[in-house]
Amino acid sequence: MASSATAAAADPDDLFAPEVIADPYTYFGRLRETDPVHWNPRAEMWVLTRHEDLVWLLRHHELFSSAVISTDKRPPHPPIDPADRPLFDDVREFRADQLVEKDRPPHQSMRAAVHEYFTPQAMEGWRPFVRRAVAELLDEVEPQGRMDVLEALAAPLPVRVITQMMGVPEEDRDHLRELADKLLYINRGEPDRMRHLMTGIEGMIEYVSPKVDVRAETPGDDFISVLAQAEKQGVFTRHQVLVNTALLLFAGHETTMNLICNGTLAFIRHPDQWERLCADPGGLARTATEECLRYDPPVKSTQRIAAADVERRGKTIRKGDRLRWFMAAANRDPRVFEDPDRFDIGRQPNTHVSFGAGIHYCLGASLARVEGQEVFRALAERLPALRLEVEPGELSYQPSIQFRSLTSLPVAWD
Amino acid sequence: MGLRITVDHGLCVGNAQCVGLAPAVFQHNENRQSEVVDPDAAPEDTVLKAASYCPTGAIRVEDARTGETLFP
Repeated sequence: MASSATAAAADPDDLFAPEVIADPYTYFGRLRETDPVHWNPRAEMWVLTRHEDLVWLLRHHELFSSAVISTDKRPPHPPIDPADRPLFDDVREFRADQLVEKDRPPHQSMRAAVHEYFTPQAMEGWRPFVRRAVAELLDEVEPQGRMDVLEALAAPLPVRVITQMMGVPEEDRDHLRELADKLLYINRGEPDRMRHLMTGIEGMIEYVSPKVDVRAETPGDDFISVLAQAEKQGVFTRHQVLVNTALLLFAGHETTMNLICNGTLAFIRHPDQWERLCADPGGLARTATEECLRYDPPVKSTQRIAAADVERRGKTIRKGDRLRWFMAAANRDPRVFEDPDRFDIGRQPNTHVSFGAGIHYCLGASLARVEGQEVFRALAERLPALRLEVEPGELSYQPSIQFRSLTSLPVAWD
Repeated sequence: MGLRITVDHGLCVGNAQCVGLAPAVFQHNENRQSEVVDPDAAPEDTVLKAASYCPTGAIRVEDARTGETLFP
């Protein structure tokens, strides 16, 4: 028995091993160089790690289905309280109506209905709001000389932006922030997480549903109005409107949190690059944000299911097989990036795959870029003395193979 | 004739919004990146909308005669 415990700890296919969670780059980098299309028997899925293979997979949506949650009959991992199993099934049913779970043909008309709201030009229009929100959040903490970047800046910023996009009035903001915090349980490992998550989902439905009726009659310039009109046109069902409003909140929340935290940590660990940004925050914010996205991406990996038998690098991927593709590994592929492990905020071109590619390319990419640029610019302008307030070894990440989420990031500048 | 359209393949991620909006103008190549097949096969405002829908700003539109930039 003792030997089996040892064997489990050393299992090279244990994607939740503490050393893989702490440093995914060594583990997945080795896979990328030795077995880029790897069958992981423990997780029962293919693991893809090369840049070229990710781009190929993502552009061939007809070969790889996005309906991964709705078709996954395996029990939840990490395990949940057995009594919560019906909740898990409800959550799965709810998530099956997310845009990210849809294949063509329905995906095409659904994406087209919401795409215009998120174009690069449209998101540029949000820059003044984002800049003001960043300034207000920093105003609150600057006199204290220290903050947890996660609590003070990275978590509240995206919620402020998204609730504004939803047209939520000022007095409802705190309620929505509480719901957003509940929705974050989608990425947690706690056994009781389904209860928290369901509270968030039900709260969202209860809050958004009457708003959809109002906005269908008198549309505004908010995102719920866009979905309400799409429902009128028969592109979205009511359930899909509610699910995708919630999706906006949780897809834009944790990912932006991670961009801000991981990027800030990368700067702290590379003082030369931090000095470089501080010398020209406005000029370098754009390429610096791209490098933060590449170097330590908010999302480490995402899934697909093979929709046909496919050959790749001598391996046969069978129809129905699960695949997980690691942008965290592809973004360090030496075939594409010169000196890939170096954090270089002037890197150009920077063809990272942190937003994916193909028809599912991140809808919120342009918004995330604006948020990252405004945050890194403001930090460099206002807090150039930024330093870590704990030992690097005290930092930890959520035990997820999808998200690269720090649990906190205490910094100081006094 | 009217428009000169270029697609930067260093930026194109194959999101296919342009192909969906103006299939007579944009088609995917075997690499699943957009190519201009006929710059004048759709009204100018449709082409400009397609260019603005590109999530990475890979599409550039000019007036073919004057060279004036119409997008971005």
